[in-house]
Amino acid sequence: MTTQAPSSRLLLALAALGAVGVVASYFVTGPERFWANWIVWFLFLFTLALGCLFMVGIEHLVAARWSVPLRRVPERLSTLLLPVVPIGLIALGAVSVLYPGAKPEALQNPLLAGKATWLGLPFFSLRTVLSLALCLWGLRVLVMGSLKQDLTKDPAYNLKARRFAPVFMAIFAVVITLLAYDWVSGLMPEWYSDIFGVYLFAGGFLAALAATVLALSHLQAQGRLTGIRGDHRYNLGAFIFAFTVFWSYIGFAQYMLMWYANLPEEVLWYKIRFEGGWHTLTITLAVIHFVVPFFALVTRDAKSNAARLKWVALLMLGAHYLDLYWMIFPMLGKGVLFSWPEVAFGAFFVAGGLMWARRSMNWGEDMPVGDPFLAKGLEFHL
Amino acid sequence: MPKTFAVLGLFDHPDALMQAIPQVKAKNLGRIETYTPYPIHGMDEALGLRRSPLGGMVLVMGVLGALTAFGFQYWISAVDYPIVTGGKAPWSWEAFIPIMFEVTVLFATFTAGLGMLLLLNKLPFFGHPVLQSKAMRAITRDRFALAIEADPELDAEAAREALRAAGAADLEVLEQEPPKPFLTSDFVLRTLGAIAIACVAAGAVMYGAIKLFPVLPPMSHMQDQPRLGPQQANAFFADGRSMRMPVSGTVARGHLPAATGTQDDAKTLSNPLPRTEATFALGKQVFTRRCAVCHGALGNGTGSLTAAYGAKPANLTAQMFRDYADGQIYWAIVHGKNAMPSQAAELDDKERWAAVHYVRALQRAQNAKDEDLR
Repeated sequence: MTTQAPSSRLLLALAALGAVGVVASYFVTGPERFWANWIVWFLFLFTLALGCLFMVGIEHLVAARWSVPLRRVPERLSTLLLPVVPIGLIALGAVSVLYPGAKPEALQNPLLAGKATWLGLPFFSLRTVLSLALCLWGLRVLVMGSLKQDLTKDPAYNLKARRFAPVFMAIFAVVITLLAYDWVSGLMPEWYSDIFGVYLFAGGFLAALAATVLALSHLQAQGRLTGIRGDHRYNLGAFIFAFTVFWSYIGFAQYMLMWYANLPEEVLWYKIRFEGGWHTLTITLAVIHFVVPFFALVTRDAKSNAARLKWVALLMLGAHYLDLYWMIFPMLGKGVLFSWPEVAFGAFFVAGGLMWARRSMNWGEDMPVGDPFLAKGLEFHL
Repeated sequence: MPKTFAVLGLFDHPDALMQAIPQVKAKNLGRIETYTPYPIHGMDEALGLRRSPLGGMVLVMGVLGALTAFGFQYWISAVDYPIVTGGKAPWSWEAFIPIMFEVTVLFATFTAGLGMLLLLNKLPFFGHPVLQSKAMRAITRDRFALAIEADPELDAEAAREALRAAGAADLEVLEQEPPKPFLTSDFVLRTLGAIAIACVAAGAVMYGAIKLFPVLPPMSHMQDQPRLGPQQANAFFADGRSMRMPVSGTVARGHLPAATGTQDDAKTLSNPLPRTEATFALGKQVFTRRCAVCHGALGNGTGSLTAAYGAKPANLTAQMFRDYADGQIYWAIVHGKNAMPSQAAELDDKERWAAVHYVRALQRAQNAKDEDLR
């Protein structure tokens, strides 16, 4: 701790400064903008942490070996789900401010009145609380079990995790879909997109991979996790590469079908985002979320190049923030709002998230030493 | 004496093989190759194989595929034959993307597959000398062979020495086989290349031919029907016409009955227009425009042209015309009578019948009854 003191103090100062800005923004720029920012960061941290847990779950599901040595990194990052719980409960305050389906005016709109039970605050809150609870259950079984295995060296954990993984996949699918429908497309309840949950999943998993890469490079810079070589990094790079393509595939498929059919209630989502400053932002999103990482990672060497992976990962985290901002902020009005409240929120949550992540990097051993497949994973060759 | 193709050194363990590679390589006797029952990690680096150029080829061809698909779709839908489909602009790039994606994948996979097999692996490759070796059976099962191959010459004795020094358990010398000219990768590649060039050339020639010689219309289905051209006699019908005349008395849809036959035949026609103010206004307008110049504003045959014109126009108010049926007056308007020309071209049905009503009104005006004055 002593060696990291200066940077820790910097983070703490940043978080404190951000917190002041966050509170001030509620009174200066109004509750709507405050809640929009809050939801962006709630979703950012939730999808990131859930994506990390998904990475752990999918390893157990398919009995992957290569990722065993670096599994502790997403395991530790997925503990971000713990601070996400209060953030999510606070975010419920946004429901009656921002979400048209939960406002009293909704009863005048026949489309919304018919779905009042689903869109209203009580059931909305129930779904959110249930989602968070299910995620915590996943965290308990997969991550706490793995940390415990460090001491017990009991391979029973692997069997348990393997049996639990399919259950977790179902939980994950439901939670991420509810997250997308309730918290994002709920801002525009007349608008439908069946694939929206998958879209959010693609972005969230990408953010999780990016965070894993950054944490890995941070640990390796301290001389830890030396067993992880270019071959492991190559797989992470290939995952990021694949998911930038997957994200754009889903995003474009969603857009193209709506563009073709041109139904008023469907194209409205894109019409808003193709006007004024939002149009520039839409193009920027496509460039930094797809074009740049695609060409940055297309070659074989680039995927295992630590420096290249690190800046692509940073870019992908930024792109995920931009993606969420692009999904949520157009609801506030025509103009692109970005000034000190957004910066303050960014400072608060980034610094807070980093402080949590840095602490979490000391939980358990650096590698799951109790896992019987660790040796196999260390031997991994492409 | 046949030339030596290679000397095989057989090893019992992959580690022994890996250790032998640098020793044999250092002697620099010929091309080094290994034959193993399964892939061994690190073999590429140990042999010093160059990085496969396939990745670059696939990227180039993939980008080329995307550009080809975009260019082709842009050209057909926005340049050569622009058609608005589904209310979208002809150059809607969104609609191009799925096809660009597919063509990119097509080009990339074909390049990867064919490039690997034909260009880099040089397949088809029949009768490699190693396949004829006695050690082949063991190599596919549990032994690991290191070969020093002629490049282009090989000192067999030195090679044997080198392999034995490197720890080979067994040695085997392979003779050079005469090359087989049949179906080499060069031949296949050239054939495929020729087919591709021929396809592109045939497409270009076909396109040019259709553009330059419209005598070869691409789609002539509607043009090539078994039908008679204009002014051609039809042998099938007795009157030699292709089109049948309508049955007499046929009234076209949306048209009023026409006066055919003699004036007497037209007696049966009745005026279809109602006697409304609008009808009389139209009738007056038509009468003033087309009739009054000869028949006079009152219809009594004293029009302004009468003096200059030899013929004497009819006095429409006379008893003879008062006794006419509506149809007979109508017939006279359509066909003309005596010196009066036909007005058919100038007046449509409605105007003619309105004029008939107006003539009736004029007749009544000149021969009013007592009750009309009340």
